[in-house]
Amino acid sequence: MKEKFGLHNLPEAPVTLETTLINKTGSWKNIQPVLQESTAPCTAACPAGIEIPLYFDMLIRGRFDEAAKILHESNPFPSITGRVCPHFCEQKCNRGYFDEAIGIRGIERYLGDLYLDKKWSPPDVTRDEKVAVVGSGPAGLSAAHFLRKKGYRVTVFERDQKLGGVLRYGIPDYRLPKDILDREIEALKREGIEFKTGVEVGKDISFEELKNSFDAVFFGTGAPLEREMRIPGEELFIKGVEFLKDVNTGKIKKFSGKVAVVGGGNVAMDVARSLLRLGATPVVLYRRTEKEMPAIREEVERAMEDGIEFKFLTLPVRAEKKNGKIELTNIKMKLGEPDETGRRRPIPIEGSEFTEEYDAVITAIGELADLSIFPEDLLNKKGWLDVDLRTTATKDDRVFAGGDLVLGPATVIEAIALGKRAAINIDRRINGLELKEFRPFEKVVEYKKIVLDYFMEEPRQKQPEVPVEERIRHFDVEEVGDYTPEQVQKEALRCFSCGHCNGCGTCWVFCPDMAIGWENDQPVFIYDYCKGCGICSAECPRDVIQMVQVRTF
Amino acid sequence: MTTAMKKVLTGNNSVSWGVKLSRVQVISAYPITPQTTIVELLSEMVANGELEAEFIKVESEHSAMSAVIGASAAGARAFTATSAQGLALMHEMLHWAAGARLPIVLANVNRAFGPPWSIWTEQTDSLAQRDTGWIQIYVESNQEALDNVILAYKIAEQVNLPVMIVLEAFVLSHTNEPVEIYPQEMVDEFLPPRENPLYVVEPGNNYAVGSLGGPDVYMEWRYKMQKAMERAVDVIKTEGENFGDHFGRKYGLYEGYMLDDADIVLVSAGAFTSTVKYTVKHYRKETGEKVGVLRLRAFRPFPHDALREALCCRKKVAVLDRNISFGHHGIFYSELKSALYRLKDDKRPPMFGYILGLGGRDITPKDIREIIEDVKTREEIEEDIIWKGVKP
Repeated sequence: MKEKFGLHNLPEAPVTLETTLINKTGSWKNIQPVLQESTAPCTAACPAGIEIPLYFDMLIRGRFDEAAKILHESNPFPSITGRVCPHFCEQKCNRGYFDEAIGIRGIERYLGDLYLDKKWSPPDVTRDEKVAVVGSGPAGLSAAHFLRKKGYRVTVFERDQKLGGVLRYGIPDYRLPKDILDREIEALKREGIEFKTGVEVGKDISFEELKNSFDAVFFGTGAPLEREMRIPGEELFIKGVEFLKDVNTGKIKKFSGKVAVVGGGNVAMDVARSLLRLGATPVVLYRRTEKEMPAIREEVERAMEDGIEFKFLTLPVRAEKKNGKIELTNIKMKLGEPDETGRRRPIPIEGSEFTEEYDAVITAIGELADLSIFPEDLLNKKGWLDVDLRTTATKDDRVFAGGDLVLGPATVIEAIALGKRAAINIDRRINGLELKEFRPFEKVVEYKKIVLDYFMEEPRQKQPEVPVEERIRHFDVEEVGDYTPEQVQKEALRCFSCGHCNGCGTCWVFCPDMAIGWENDQPVFIYDYCKGCGICSAECPRDVIQMVQVRTF
Repeated sequence: MTTAMKKVLTGNNSVSWGVKLSRVQVISAYPITPQTTIVELLSEMVANGELEAEFIKVESEHSAMSAVIGASAAGARAFTATSAQGLALMHEMLHWAAGARLPIVLANVNRAFGPPWSIWTEQTDSLAQRDTGWIQIYVESNQEALDNVILAYKIAEQVNLPVMIVLEAFVLSHTNEPVEIYPQEMVDEFLPPRENPLYVVEPGNNYAVGSLGGPDVYMEWRYKMQKAMERAVDVIKTEGENFGDHFGRKYGLYEGYMLDDADIVLVSAGAFTSTVKYTVKHYRKETGEKVGVLRLRAFRPFPHDALREALCCRKKVAVLDRNISFGHHGIFYSELKSALYRLKDDKRPPMFGYILGLGGRDITPKDIREIIEDVKTREEIEEDIIWKGVKP
């Protein structure tokens, strides 16, 4: 029988006699919160899907080593991408709508350099199978690294005397110092990858021979051929990629005179900026306008800061040698309807030809892969290597391919991403598993989901830079410097941490029912007492807590 | 023991010093004239580290009272101060604090309600909180203000009811007097840290405070509150005497002045009683008539027995109210009438209720003298409100 209450057994103050935990208020709810992380726009924008908020989480806690570890899981070469990546992540950063995007690349570079000489311990050889990688550019090195991590014996074949491919022979020193590249490669050697330089497939070893000596082959041979202009006098021109290679090997140390650089892509920018630093006066000729330039925006801006002259809507149509100089005839263009790339097509304006004199002309109008080594049955109707980009598989079960070879001139990070994708699928193929298709991220956190009340405007940390007048005088002085550790942490604290719980505790503070516990720096919902009010979800600054239906009426 | 130091302090700053000496742990308040300088000084003391307390800034008096309720429920010694509209805004939470049996101390600086807007003194604001379950003590001087903050915690923490110390706007709040400030160790001896709270809300202690109390239990808790109030009568008396033993200043439920042999007794509360005392002293000297003064201190609990005893068999009693309950009478007057009702007819003195000094109008010795003369002309109660000083 229930005890009767009266003066004799009621406490002096009207407080409950027993713990209130007996009242399971959670039984009243029809919705309840769940911790559901989703993808940050930076991660979704990154070709390699680097989970930026995850390592930022470590940074704000001051755990730099762990941050570096997480970063290296998805990107083995942050020292490289931290310098040359066009940072798609920053372009999509939600913070960019608020004040300024987070300096992700600068942080990536800092963590990469922090770890550069500490990586890697060699993974054990756990597999009998051997894999060959052809080409030691970013795609090949990435594939080799991830395959080695899976326990395979990996051999990299490089036709040049030195390793690195486009990283060594394409990208100039002022953007990526050779020392950094060398230390990255040293780390891969420590990992137990075998490198064979001066070996060209198709010449020193045949495609078939290679295929028969290995269980799988990855091709990451890049796009080393310069596209031809197909105009009279073309034989007078220097090819952009060849020029860069000569500069990067030290064959060319000086260059003088007025030089036309034809093209608007990254090679054109590298050529023009290198020329300036070697003593020449470059003039960039591009057939469309600045807006349509395929080069990394930052590089275009830097070239303009350097004081390089740009002539837009200008296309060379013929060239002649005259008095030791090249007489270049150009035609003016206008923009028409958009083409298949979405950019407006340039149309020549009749009768607008004009002639200029140059000491040299360097073309950089697009780079092509060298497909001569592949048997015809691996090519498609257009004559290109037939590759399923979702898996990097070719028509041959043992042959995979990635990087510029399959993408055309692209970025280092895209090459790294495809190298990793290839490593995953080579492993699956060898294990007789179905290949894993890459799928774009589905649930990406939108800016409107960020609860801005929790953030204050704070300017982005700036990396130190060599002044323009100073930088254009040197070829081998890196123009951008490092963040300090304090800057890294400050910048990490600016991050919204979209879709990732970084343990800010806002939900814990707001829960009116004390139905949120705290374990391992994360909220834990105590569903017995959660009434499903949804305040935690509404207040979560970073869209990590979702309300789900648990009962319907 | 170190000797007490004397400072020239306003009434408000005397309260602040009383709070400091009581080692209050949590202060929350919202500024309002004429209270503001109480918490202003306290905020400085907290900022300077002279007083180890949390000072919680809030956006309203309702929140201020809510904050100190939380603090007190968590076991802290808590303080707030307010006036008039601010006190009215707290009204809901005043009930809450008392119902939750929390020994909070509040200093109310009497101020008249608007409209018409006024910042000057009047007792109606605090008296209107009569039924909230708060102990109310009216003080006369700056020293009494300081002393009664300390005393208030001593009382509150024994009966588990909140205490309101009431002082008048400007007449006390902003007027300087020499005030004795006791050495801290002397106060610590009298008022140790808060002991034996009824309950403490803290992590791991799963109480619910303010949960539902149905018809089966509600009345019992109200009975307990009334019993605590009744007990408070004795506690105020005893601790007032203990205070006297310890500090040399004794406080009772009320104060008598030339009261023992008085035939005519003037009853009032608050600082203007000084004017009453002054006038009575001179009046006696001049006329030899036995006029005396009874200054009310405790309004809640209302000390019926003590007052009945004090006023039994007097010839006449005049109550001076600086307040009014519209549609009824002066509030002290009507309260006192009900207290004396239990006296036999022949022992019950005729009572005359004067209302004066509303909205801060000056109460002068001349006014008091006229009241004494007026009382002398009256035999029977003919009207319940005798207005003093309403201009034609």
